[in-house]
Amino acid sequence: MDGLTLALIGAGMAALLAGIGSAVGIGIAGRSATGVLSEKPERYGQMFIMVVLPGTQGFYGFLAAFLVMLNLGFFGKSGVPELTSTVGLQVLMACLPIAFAGLVSAIFQGRVCSGGILMAAKRPEMAFKAGVVYAVMVEVYAVLGLLVTMFMLLFGINWPAAA
Amino acid sequence: MTAAAERAILDFYTYPPIGTDDWRYAFETAQVRAIEMGMLSRTNLLDMANAQDLASAAAALAATEYALPQASAGGLGFGEVENMLLLRRTAARQLFSDLILDEPIVRLFKARDDFANLRLAVRRALTDRPLGTDYSPDGNVDAELFEQVFEEENYELFPDYMQQATEQAVLAYYQNKDIRRIDHAIDAAEAQYNLRMARKLGSVFLLGLFKIRIDLTNIRTMLRLKFTESEQRNVFLQGGFIELERFIHGLDVGYESLGALFFVTPYHHVVDIGANYLASNKSFLKIEQQCEEHLTGYLKSTVRITAGPQPIIAYLLMKENEIRTVRLILTAKKNHLDTKLILDRIS
Repeated sequence: MDGLTLALIGAGMAALLAGIGSAVGIGIAGRSATGVLSEKPERYGQMFIMVVLPGTQGFYGFLAAFLVMLNLGFFGKSGVPELTSTVGLQVLMACLPIAFAGLVSAIFQGRVCSGGILMAAKRPEMAFKAGVVYAVMVEVYAVLGLLVTMFMLLFGINWPAAA
Repeated sequence: MTAAAERAILDFYTYPPIGTDDWRYAFETAQVRAIEMGMLSRTNLLDMANAQDLASAAAALAATEYALPQASAGGLGFGEVENMLLLRRTAARQLFSDLILDEPIVRLFKARDDFANLRLAVRRALTDRPLGTDYSPDGNVDAELFEQVFEEENYELFPDYMQQATEQAVLAYYQNKDIRRIDHAIDAAEAQYNLRMARKLGSVFLLGLFKIRIDLTNIRTMLRLKFTESEQRNVFLQGGFIELERFIHGLDVGYESLGALFFVTPYHHVVDIGANYLASNKSFLKIEQQCEEHLTGYLKSTVRITAGPQPIIAYLLMKENEIRTVRLILTAKKNHLDTKLILDRIS
């Protein structure tokens, strides 16, 4: 398999897996939020932040994929350079941290947010203290995955010059 | 599930496990959590219990879903109270049916009314009284079917679980023509049906719930037999967490030793408090209250579930319990019972 294909698989996995994780996570939190809102619509503001939090991983995956495409010269005028299989594999491996950290952390963050939403239904004063803060703790590991991916993409790969 | 379902009593301290999350229920669980906020608080119930009379007790419910029309508050007719409570119960059951995604669970809980109707119908049929049509309409079996089934003696019109229960009840009655045998036979059939269905559904929570209920029923039976100095030994229900030998042994020891006998079980406090109160006050008030509290504790442990059928089942049972408590207090007030007695029962 040629290097460009491997690099594009990596970029695709980052966007796809992290995106799936976010979709599932938002789905879980969103269902819980609508359940509470069906009885207490005045809690919309508190629920909103906990529903959107699992969506960040999808953006991280997109950012990683964008970095790969940027470095491959997708948006330049000089075209995409040829990549050796080694460099392609390096790019693929660099994309994996955010792909998997995003996938798993978004789903679990959705569950934490769901728990926070239920708690906010009964104890609104705890919505931020427990609901949001605990969800942000899960977020940390997605951010770490993104940072590793970014460091590898920006400093660990010897990108070829544009054709 | 098998290992968890067949868990021994020594594997948990107070309450058995409640199972894991089922994320299909995220919306339904959240809705129940929000609705739970509208349930009566302890303060509401204490205010009712401490009220001077029935009208004041009813007035304490003015800001709740149990509020009665203003006109009836003065010359409160108990029929209106009963109607209102019945409406609330029907609404809670309807909500339960709407929220539970697994139809077999709905049918399982509707079967409670089938068994209650069956008790009534079998008693009437075996004691040659008119069968009547005043059966609960909330069961799986049409209330109008009971009269037809017993008049034609065509039990095949019933579902399997009711056919078995009917046969067992009739056989038990004709052993010595004791009408209490009917209730016991149907209770036993219901308990076995519940356990069978819980295992079939793979629900750790339901299995724990039904096993706790069997244990609590056996504890009450043990104290009743003890109090009446009955010689009966084969009336305990099988399938609970506690071995039947312990209950039978409990019949032969003094009230003061019962706490020690149940010390290694989760029901130590239930038995200890209930037996002491029974011995000193000749009343089952405390054992009833303790059993209710123990079961409620298990239901409240479903707070750990973020999404699943457990909180919805717990809501139904706690709501029904709340309705029973409201009825109990209002009935006690209507009959001018001592406030301390009411507080003892609900505390």
